[in-house]
Amino acid sequence: MKRVRTSGLAAVGVGLLLAVAACSGGSETGGDSGDAEVRLWLAGTDTPQELRDYLVETFEEQNEGATLVIEEQDWSGLVPRLQTALASADQTPDLVEIGNTQSPTFTYAGAFSDITDMVEDLGGDQLLEGFVEAGTVDDSVYAVPYYSGARAVFYRKDLFQAAGVQVPTTLAEFREAALKLQAAAPGGKPNFSGFWFPGQDWYNGIAWIYSHGGDLAVQDGDTWVGALSSPESQKGLAEVQELFADATRAPRDADSAEPWVPFNNGEAAMFSAPTWARWSIDLPECNKGVAADDESEQAKVLLAEQQACNEEKTGVFPLPGEQAGTPATVFAGGSNIAIPAKSGNQELARNLLEIIFSEEYQTMLAENGLIPGNSSYADALGDDVYAQAARDAALGAKLTPAAEKWAEVEGARILEDFFQQIAGGADLAEASAEADQLIADTLN
Amino acid sequence: MSATRSTPAAVVPPAPPRAPAVGPPAAPPGRPRQRSPRRARLGPYLLLVPALVPVAIGLGYPLVRQFVLSFQEYGMAQQFGRPAEWVGLRNYTELLSDPYVWGVIARSVAFCLVNAALTMGVGIALAVLMSRVGRVARMTLQVGLLLAWGTPVLATMTVWQWLFDSQYGVVNWLLAEPLGMTGMRQHSWIIEPASFYLVATVIVVWMSVPFVVFTVYAGLLQVPEECMEAAQLDGATAWQRLRYLALPMVAPVLLVVALLQVIWDLRVFTQIYVLQRAGAPTRETHLLGTFIYSLSKEFSMAGAMATIMLVITLALTAFYIRRMLREEA
Repeated sequence: MKRVRTSGLAAVGVGLLLAVAACSGGSETGGDSGDAEVRLWLAGTDTPQELRDYLVETFEEQNEGATLVIEEQDWSGLVPRLQTALASADQTPDLVEIGNTQSPTFTYAGAFSDITDMVEDLGGDQLLEGFVEAGTVDDSVYAVPYYSGARAVFYRKDLFQAAGVQVPTTLAEFREAALKLQAAAPGGKPNFSGFWFPGQDWYNGIAWIYSHGGDLAVQDGDTWVGALSSPESQKGLAEVQELFADATRAPRDADSAEPWVPFNNGEAAMFSAPTWARWSIDLPECNKGVAADDESEQAKVLLAEQQACNEEKTGVFPLPGEQAGTPATVFAGGSNIAIPAKSGNQELARNLLEIIFSEEYQTMLAENGLIPGNSSYADALGDDVYAQAARDAALGAKLTPAAEKWAEVEGARILEDFFQQIAGGADLAEASAEADQLIADTLN
Repeated sequence: MSATRSTPAAVVPPAPPRAPAVGPPAAPPGRPRQRSPRRARLGPYLLLVPALVPVAIGLGYPLVRQFVLSFQEYGMAQQFGRPAEWVGLRNYTELLSDPYVWGVIARSVAFCLVNAALTMGVGIALAVLMSRVGRVARMTLQVGLLLAWGTPVLATMTVWQWLFDSQYGVVNWLLAEPLGMTGMRQHSWIIEPASFYLVATVIVVWMSVPFVVFTVYAGLLQVPEECMEAAQLDGATAWQRLRYLALPMVAPVLLVVALLQVIWDLRVFTQIYVLQRAGAPTRETHLLGTFIYSLSKEFSMAGAMATIMLVITLALTAFYIRRMLREEA
């Protein structure tokens, strides 16, 4: 009997080895980029289907014999996927969309082709400024802006009225409004937040740093130094800490995801998000109870009514800056687009890039609520309050530092940890010095 | 890297091929020895080839590559064609001179030992329970365990995350409403490292226990009934029969299961990673698996750290492996 058991034991051991070996056998689907198949990688679902169709049709029309395949990549895990795909001539896409804060990492590594000579053609000075900077190394441009989406503040009109609060016009007034709403807690919900501000939400939090003239990190000669300890940043962070303490009951372990959930529940009077968040607002008093899979005409009418009701009860404004009438400097989210250096279809990829920067396509982007890479077409965003808020917010918006290794700072979640500490009432100077050190260690 | 990323609890050793570790059979007595002794000795080794080749390709290659990388400077730029520079032991000295890295190692070892011990304890207890209860209860237990085990890790993690959610979680609601602990209404379970590891332990143990239960239960079934009966007649209590008879008889099984638990719990990744993403302070909660992943932009550093982890794993399991090899001999 012992014999049986021990040999079984060894067998389990080998079985385990095989299982482990099987784990490492994950294969990439190798795309054979034949002579005339161009592959475009779009990140996330932000580019609507209508625009994708337009690209395919126009491209195939203008380039006889060539086909365009658009492949959608998920935002999460995009960096490691690009890391492997872009390094291989067999697997690389021919044109790729990438998060604006991620693009320095790849441009510095030499993953993209130099397209400096095209910049003038694509829009020159009209291209979104910070985005071009994020795609530039030593005066050569490797990535250009695809679109940008700025953050604006959504608020409940009835709660503002109940608390006697006006729409703020300066950052100081915003602070007062948030504190007043928190103290008044109109609506009587427990855990009510004047301003929904979860502990890890640095995307919104850095608006206070930027607006007071501070920064996350600055370049000093050849090295990067963390700038959270600078007097300007500290001033902004002090306000952030006050908001965390007295203007919100949002959990410290939450981030910027789905801020409309508590808003819809009546647990928050304000939240800050990209303007497309309007489609996620669903107040109970407006809800018509239409089933998600109901596609009848009647359902469409009801849904339209519901949306109108929601938008009537909700207001939106760009986070105001220090001076009345100016917007705050918020974080500019968005993406860049670039041609991978290993792509075998450089010419065709350039043709596709030109189509993307054509007036028609840029206008279509704007009509779908995205601020187009070429800002001269931003007028097509429209005139409703959402478009205005988006445009105002985008005006002063700023990116994260254009450091080669910035993506690693985000990957290490240094800022999430840092803002969480501030939300927990940590000593500002101490926490900032520590975070500065971590940022510097990562960037250099 | 792949070994550290795969999920510990969900790895099920597939039906094993027949024992390759059995030594070369002694020439059968009575047979003339001079007839092709070489072929007789080679035969068993040839049979090993189909098992060894995939292992060498799937495990050996990455291991060698990781080892080589750990002595180079190899990051993104190198991947896009810049030549990799040899840096000797620099990656290792850099890592091992950082007190933070030692903190991660200490945390990982402690987490691994506590979890493996808890899993074994709960698992053996449940296995004994299963061998004592009636048919219906046993089936219920088996189905329950199988479900807990069979659910994909990420699905399980999502449910646990909802349970412990600080705003809308059931755990906080239960504590606050029926139990009257209003202070727990918005309690965050993962924001303090200690309570983060508590939650992680609950989840890891929950997901690893079924494997232990089934294996040990199968072992217990092999304990001969007559031995137990004889012991009973001699006046041994139930506890004595278990402690001095059943458990020693299934000791080889316990040994290999414990060994696997130690290995799996040391390289735990998914559970920690998901909990970190749920809002825990990342830096303070890294274990080896997630820490290596966080280094992965600098392949050489990650390679060095993974090699260090391999050494730790071997050190932790040396006792078991030695004993296992001795029994094979």
